[in-house]
Amino acid sequence: MATPDLLFGLRNNFFLGAYQAAINNSDIPNLSEEESIERDSLVYRSYIALGSYQLVINEIESTAATALQAVKLLALYLSSPENKEATIASLQEYLSDPAYGNNPIVRLIAGIVFMHEKDYVEALKHTNVGGTMELHALNVQILIKMHRSDYAEKQLRIMQQIDEDHTLTQLANAWLNLAVGGSKIQEASLIFQDFSEKYQMTSLILNGKAVCCLHMEKIDEAESLLLEALNKANSLYSFHLPLLDVLYLPRCPLTHPHTPFIDEMQQDAKDPETLANLVVCSLHLGKQSSRYLSQLKLSHPEHVLVKRASAAEESFDRAVQTLA
Amino acid sequence: MLTKFETKSNRVKGLSFHSKRPWILASLHSGVIQLWDYRMGTLIDRFDEHDGPVRGVHFHATQPLFVSGGDDYKIKVWNYKLHRCLFTLLGHLDYIRTVQFHHESPWIVSSSDDQTIRIWNWQSRTCISVLTGHNHYVMCALFHPKEDLVVSASLDQTVRVWDISALRKKTASPADDILRLSQMNTDFFGGVDAVVKYVLEGHDRGVNWASFHPTLPLLISGADDRQVKIWRMNDTKAWEVDTLRGHMNNVSCVLFHARQDLIVSNSEDKSIRVWDSTKRTALQTFRREQDRFWILASHPEMNLFAAGHDSGMIVFKLERERPAFSVSGDSLYYVKDRFLRFFEYSTQKDTQVIPIRRPGSISLNQGAKTLSFSPTENAVLICSDIDGGSYELYIIPKDSLGRGDTVHESKRGFGGSAVFVARNRFAVLEKSSDQVLVKNLKNEIVKKSALPIATDSIFYAGTGNLLCKTEDKVIIFDLQQRIVLGELQTSFVRYVVWSNDMESIALLSKHAVVLADKKLVHRCTLHETIRIKSGAWDDNGVFIYTTLTHIKYCLPNGDSGIIKTIDVPVYITKIFGNTIFCLDRDGRNRPIIIDSTEYVFKLSLLKKRHDQVMSMIRNSELCGQAMIAYLQQKGFPEVALHFVKDERTRFNLALESGNIEIAVASAKVIDEKDHWYRLGVEALRQGNAGIVEYAYQRTKNFERLSFLYLITGNLDKLSKMMKIAEQKSDVMGQFHNALYLGDVQERVKILENAGHLPLAYITASVHGLQGVAERLAADLGDNVPVLPEGGSASLLMPPNPILSGGDWPLLRVTKGIFEGGLDSAGRGVQEEYEDAADADWGEDLDIVDVVNMHNGDVSVALEGEDVDEQNDEGGWDYEDLELPPDVDTPKTATSARSSMFVAPPAGLPVSQIWVQKSSLAAEHAAAGNFDTTMRLLNRQLGIRNFAPLKTLFTDLHMGSHTYLLGFSSAPVISVAIERGWSESASPNVRGPPALAFNFSQLEDKLKAGYKATTAGKFTEALRLFLGILHTIPLIVVESRREVDEVKELITIAKEYVLGSMMELKRREMKDNPVREQELAAYFTHCNLQVPHLRLALLSALTVCYKAGNLNTAANFARRLLETNPTNENQTRTARRVLQAAERNMTDASELNYDFRNPFVVCGATYAPIYRGQKKVSCPYCGSHFVPSQEGQLCAVCDLALIGSDASGLLCSPSQVR
Repeated sequence: MATPDLLFGLRNNFFLGAYQAAINNSDIPNLSEEESIERDSLVYRSYIALGSYQLVINEIESTAATALQAVKLLALYLSSPENKEATIASLQEYLSDPAYGNNPIVRLIAGIVFMHEKDYVEALKHTNVGGTMELHALNVQILIKMHRSDYAEKQLRIMQQIDEDHTLTQLANAWLNLAVGGSKIQEASLIFQDFSEKYQMTSLILNGKAVCCLHMEKIDEAESLLLEALNKANSLYSFHLPLLDVLYLPRCPLTHPHTPFIDEMQQDAKDPETLANLVVCSLHLGKQSSRYLSQLKLSHPEHVLVKRASAAEESFDRAVQTLA
Repeated sequence: MLTKFETKSNRVKGLSFHSKRPWILASLHSGVIQLWDYRMGTLIDRFDEHDGPVRGVHFHATQPLFVSGGDDYKIKVWNYKLHRCLFTLLGHLDYIRTVQFHHESPWIVSSSDDQTIRIWNWQSRTCISVLTGHNHYVMCALFHPKEDLVVSASLDQTVRVWDISALRKKTASPADDILRLSQMNTDFFGGVDAVVKYVLEGHDRGVNWASFHPTLPLLISGADDRQVKIWRMNDTKAWEVDTLRGHMNNVSCVLFHARQDLIVSNSEDKSIRVWDSTKRTALQTFRREQDRFWILASHPEMNLFAAGHDSGMIVFKLERERPAFSVSGDSLYYVKDRFLRFFEYSTQKDTQVIPIRRPGSISLNQGAKTLSFSPTENAVLICSDIDGGSYELYIIPKDSLGRGDTVHESKRGFGGSAVFVARNRFAVLEKSSDQVLVKNLKNEIVKKSALPIATDSIFYAGTGNLLCKTEDKVIIFDLQQRIVLGELQTSFVRYVVWSNDMESIALLSKHAVVLADKKLVHRCTLHETIRIKSGAWDDNGVFIYTTLTHIKYCLPNGDSGIIKTIDVPVYITKIFGNTIFCLDRDGRNRPIIIDSTEYVFKLSLLKKRHDQVMSMIRNSELCGQAMIAYLQQKGFPEVALHFVKDERTRFNLALESGNIEIAVASAKVIDEKDHWYRLGVEALRQGNAGIVEYAYQRTKNFERLSFLYLITGNLDKLSKMMKIAEQKSDVMGQFHNALYLGDVQERVKILENAGHLPLAYITASVHGLQGVAERLAADLGDNVPVLPEGGSASLLMPPNPILSGGDWPLLRVTKGIFEGGLDSAGRGVQEEYEDAADADWGEDLDIVDVVNMHNGDVSVALEGEDVDEQNDEGGWDYEDLELPPDVDTPKTATSARSSMFVAPPAGLPVSQIWVQKSSLAAEHAAAGNFDTTMRLLNRQLGIRNFAPLKTLFTDLHMGSHTYLLGFSSAPVISVAIERGWSESASPNVRGPPALAFNFSQLEDKLKAGYKATTAGKFTEALRLFLGILHTIPLIVVESRREVDEVKELITIAKEYVLGSMMELKRREMKDNPVREQELAAYFTHCNLQVPHLRLALLSALTVCYKAGNLNTAANFARRLLETNPTNENQTRTARRVLQAAERNMTDASELNYDFRNPFVVCGATYAPIYRGQKKVSCPYCGSHFVPSQEGQLCAVCDLALIGSDASGLLCSPSQVR
């Protein structure tokens, strides 16, 4: 344990949603081969998180490591919903090959993809064995989605046994605390508070804090936190994302220093959750929520809240019909 | 033992502390008496009049005196202020061993090798008593601190206690001459005024020292038999209590500790020993290599001791006195005695929190050393040196704050130092293996981490980080990443102080303060000659620290200064503006008010906050040479200028800052040549020719002045200068000026007058003044000079300056913000003030109208009963809700492609739990189950038209979940929000959903609706009240009382909706005066707030009056007056209408309106339904309708079907229970 963990900062940034910081600080010397693959996968996944799918698809060549291939599949899956069958098929191919199927990143990506497909059982099939903190954390999230907090708690125990202070353990703990509610929400809030004191503020942390506040009925506080998150992300978001893809279309080596201009722009830019939570927040404050909602509809038509809103309208109409 | 000060000198035989000042006297074997300041570490004075060793020395408690006795048989009394010996008492016949002042009487007791003890009156300078009885050298004699007793120790192996009360009687009644005479006789014959009270025998060798306990009837003695003996005495006898054995050689001196149960002794075995006086066991031994100890002294007020030995002396204390404390926000936790205490800065409340464990083995310095606090977990870590370094962890129960008396269980562990590194984690230093253990609050090891350097102690450095300290450097170490974040070379750091924002750190070592940022990047270092004790950051980034003697500040750039001096050391805990909160050595919290002006001013300068600087200059008494020097040195002469009254300094500063106007003003006042000269130089530099001229004029510096005129082209003045020179018969000056002017004739004239005829001739002839030349040639006769051949001469004329006269373009002097700043700043303030005065008008006037809305009507109570009945009737209706299919049954795992793993079946989403648990419409809507919601509403309230409720439904649904960004790129987790969260809510028990609408929002809407009504904006009012009516079906309140309020709100809203609709209708009916009057009249029968009723009445009155229906109008007027309108106009109008109507009690047109007969208004047709007539009503809002409307949609609420069955409003879980 005495050797410093070179990738610690990178991982942390990634887990806490400081994707641009993760990308910017990825130029770490003296990495072993294994570490540099992990580094690359984290960087590419950061790009994915920022929505720069094309960059990832273009940059990962067919000769790249298995883990990176899996990351590319994730980018493919997220970038073109119309081709997702094909993507899933190639993912299945990887999974069925024992040489690749045991790669934790491949399994992780499989878990994420099947989660998007809402096939939680299939997702768990690949992730339940664990092996990395990320896989465990994903397990926790899947189980929460399945409303099985009891199982999620078991996963969390495993993570806590491995490393109680790990960022992912803390995060997973916060998710679970929020999911089970009650007094645990305060603990979740403390976890996010700790993060905010220790690391740079990301919209993930701000949102986490805000969600806790919302659940604790501190709605004004939640609103100010969310507005802070929005201000961080705002203004540049609308125009720079397409621009980014243009900028990165020509191949550029990963270690190439990125311009601060882009950094500024990408800082937590992709932030549908802030908008979604702001909608909820405004509703509870009796304020106008439509602006945030339409903003969200514009930028993220696929977001849960948007879907929920349209589903609600449909079900309303249906209900009126049945009653009539 | 903590050594505070040490000296090197000849053998020290006598010591005495000053009671108030940090001084100590040391008498030496060489005959010198030294006066030391042990705090500053300086020798203040030396007194060298004794011949041979001085063994005894003592300060007077109050007077500036001390006494000394030496081997020259002399007792000398000195005044240290006058630096001299006042007088010498002679009488002893051998070496004097000890001398001591009495604490109140003007006496000195002395012991001597002549086997006597003498008591002297130092005022009369006589020996008043000789105590005989010892039959060997008397080594020591001391007064009792309170009683009339003297103790003496002698080499005759005895300790004697003498009663000297007779001596007091003698001096107390000097008036009685006869008595005095007899006493003189007794004096003369060998004295009976001091008698031996007890002779203590027990030592088997000579006794070197004996002293009283300061409060108890105890004695202690040390002897050549290497023993220390404790003796007890009462009124009649004294006896040996115990013997302390351990010294290896003659015990030279022994004392009781005044405040603790300790005995301190020293000996020729080169050691000082500390003993427990109750258990009579040895606690500690401090040994020196070379030096035998001879004498001990204790400070009369502080916990300080001094010991003299063969080659000097040491001042020391036995235990640390720094209280362990930790500041967290507004609160301070600290340890005092056996208790953890809590102090709140805002209220200055000090409470005892919990008792902490007393160390098991009594030894020195086992008290709490450091304290670390975790505010969120309310946990305290107390570190001490017990068992070679250990910590105790206490969790403070939140409720027992302030009344703790039982010892709480604590978790213990060993380690050099322990400190919280996160809310629920603390790090413990394990020195032996150079690693830290990170532990949780259960005291379990969570993680071990090796440290990169061999660390002495650790400090907090932000969440998850540690500041590790070694002999010569500090590092900040990230425990998680295991990397070093920052490193700084420093001398041995003792304490670490973080600023409130954790951006800056101060490292305190014994004699230095190092300020650095959070990455340990060095900012500045301050060196002190006196020990640094404590420090804290104020909110502006100034570090304030205490030394033994001063409170000082240090600015971020390293500028420092003294704030005030202090008498006793204090430990700063926190700073609030001008108040410094300190803990003193007794563990008391005390605020110290300081004058922060100086450092705030300097800080403002540093941060370039010039407005602040200006206001401070204007408002405060900030003066002094030091400040001016500071400003000059820091390059702010223009600021310094504002302070200075002294003209010379002012002049200098003005020149330095280039402020020529002020310089001129000052120069005028000073009016000295030198200053004018310097002014001229500066003015010339700036190009201010006017001032230059003025300065030259004042200094009468004609040459420079002429030259100035020349280059400025001021020929008039130049010629004037020539005249002046002529008058002053300054030939050279005159000639120069002529030359400057190009005036040849004048030049010739000057030369001629001066007798230089050849030169005059040449000048004249060269310049073609032939006439003059000839005349001169004639005068010269033979001596006519020969003009040089060749070369055509021409008149040298000075060139004309381009800019003649006036100033040159002035040099731009950098004008600070201070130029005229005083004025502008002043004006700014005033403007702001005026603005503020404008702001507070025209608000909140309408609020008066809205109060009293909850004036409980009788109908409310009735309605409440109604509902109960209805509930009973309809109570079973909820049973047959269509519940969604049970999702709990596992339907997966059939695919089971992976054989060994079976995924758990999905659980029940929270929203389904809501639906199952609840029969409240709103909660179903929040869960997204709209069809059950609608069914419920239909059943409960007869609602049929759901269209107006659509957005409300979706809002409720959307507002029921938050979105939590989980794992990157994975779908978000949506989390159900539950209502009524509290800290104690148990997890995993699903509460009802939080709803986007609540009752208080409706109340706000109601107020807005009232406001709109008052303003006559009926469309707006209608929208608002209708909004209320539409929201109420989806409201959930907690208590029955609130249910009643909701119901009342329905009625209010309904009345206003109906009223507003009629009023709007009326406005459309301008062409139908009868209908208009009717609608206006019905409006007055809606149940409105009084102010609104008045307005309605007024409008009805106006309408009817205009239409000629005077009788009806008069009725409105009467009703209006009955409400006692506050508005004068309303009263007046009503009165006038009444008067007019009295004259003519008729109605022009027939209205369908009989105000004598009670009625309700049909919500659809706006026709009155008089009492007894048939009517139907809306099951939700309760509006009444004519029977023909049955089955229609209610025109008022637009929701329910008129006349349909409904079980009644269900809006609270309390109604279901």
